[in-house]
Amino acid sequence: MRIRGLFLFRRYSLPIFIVLLLLFALVLMSLRTKQRKGVELFDALLMEISFPFQKAATLVIKTVQGTFQHYVFLVNLERENRMLKEKIAQLQEENHRMNEIKLANERLRQLLQFREKNSPSMIGAEVIGRDPSFWFKSVMIDKGERDGVKKGMAVISPRGVIGQVLKIAPHYATVLLITDYNSAVDCVVERSRAKAIVEGKGENRCQLKYLLRAEEVAVGDVVITSGLGGNFPKGLMVGEVKKVDKKGHGVFQYAELVPSVDMTRLEEVFVVMEQEPLQPAHPQEEKEKKRKKTKK
Amino acid sequence: MKRFVLPLFAGILFLILQTTLLSILPIQRIRPDILLIFTLYLTFLFPPILGGILAMFLGYLMDLFSGNALGFYTFSRPLLFFAGYFFKERFYLEGFSSQFLFAFVFGMLEGVLILILLNAVQPVSLGNLYPMLFTFLLPQSFFTGLVTPILFFLFQKASSPLFRQPEQGIKERT
Repeated sequence: MRIRGLFLFRRYSLPIFIVLLLLFALVLMSLRTKQRKGVELFDALLMEISFPFQKAATLVIKTVQGTFQHYVFLVNLERENRMLKEKIAQLQEENHRMNEIKLANERLRQLLQFREKNSPSMIGAEVIGRDPSFWFKSVMIDKGERDGVKKGMAVISPRGVIGQVLKIAPHYATVLLITDYNSAVDCVVERSRAKAIVEGKGENRCQLKYLLRAEEVAVGDVVITSGLGGNFPKGLMVGEVKKVDKKGHGVFQYAELVPSVDMTRLEEVFVVMEQEPLQPAHPQEEKEKKRKKTKK
Repeated sequence: MKRFVLPLFAGILFLILQTTLLSILPIQRIRPDILLIFTLYLTFLFPPILGGILAMFLGYLMDLFSGNALGFYTFSRPLLFFAGYFFKERFYLEGFSSQFLFAFVFGMLEGVLILILLNAVQPVSLGNLYPMLFTFLLPQSFFTGLVTPILFFLFQKASSPLFRQPEQGIKERT
């Protein structure tokens, strides 16, 4: 009986091995779903070993690319153009923030209970790699746990929201972009204050989910973060509505969004470390109130 | 040992190239999956056990480098390796067209498998991803197929000092 068993094992050793290996892969998948600590530690170790090579490769590629772009092809024109584009982006962002502050002030004044707006403390990080697969949208950055980065932290750029931290290693992290189908960000339409969830839709596109049919949304409307999820500070630009579809039945309408950040050209990003309460919109009034309080 | 470690490092190198150099291509849709080509080439170099483990490890690394939190490639890559291993005899892999077809078919198969796994695991509808079969998977598999003959040729040249008969892949050069 034993000999027969051994014979059968030898005969079917390869199919058994294949089944076991695939089962092991499935177990790993299940462990990842449950986010067991052991898998995370192993992941962090592998990331720590392999990401420096990726960083070095990015550096070499950027240097070669930069040499060609800056000196061989266009001398200084490209640099100037980039600077101007950055400046425009900064001004646009500032404009959106100002607009948002203005709207917030008006609303809160009416309600007589205004207090705070968020100004996040951030650290800069460099993008060192992109997702090897086209199904998923993510980037790797050169800041990790040792720099204070934690899972779920928001990642932004001067142009708007980029995504959130998905995996972390001591010195590196993977950021899930808002264009990934797994990403969901709580947002509002700046003009009408309609609430919705921005979900990834693949190639530099997102969709607004759970947007009530009764809400007024038009093409060109700017969508900003609501601050409700807890990860993203309030008032950050997410993108612009490009398509609205009220056809069909149901409670919700369909809207498509183009992110304000071009996810295919990311180079430097900011990780939002914590959300500190912002300075009041009217510092003079606050100062006077404080003075009165101290006099009392 | 050398026969296992060197292809492993080569795989890591290809993965880094895929996430850095190839990702700066202006058209992302034509970015060929060189790690897939490498995994397919492993079917000519390795016996099933060692090759399966290597393919799984490379898949694991691919998951680690990507925004895929569940580990689909850890499952799909060894499966692809075994499929390639058992079907390689049915392909006449000497010419350009057959090598192109080999990589194209497996690229498409993996894409469909990933989509099935995604649908099985995700509780929400993933209707958004279906158009990607035509807009991304098809062009990427096509270009993966196109570069396969070139890369197979380079892999063959590079592996010849290690393996006496790369196409059979069992005897190590002494």
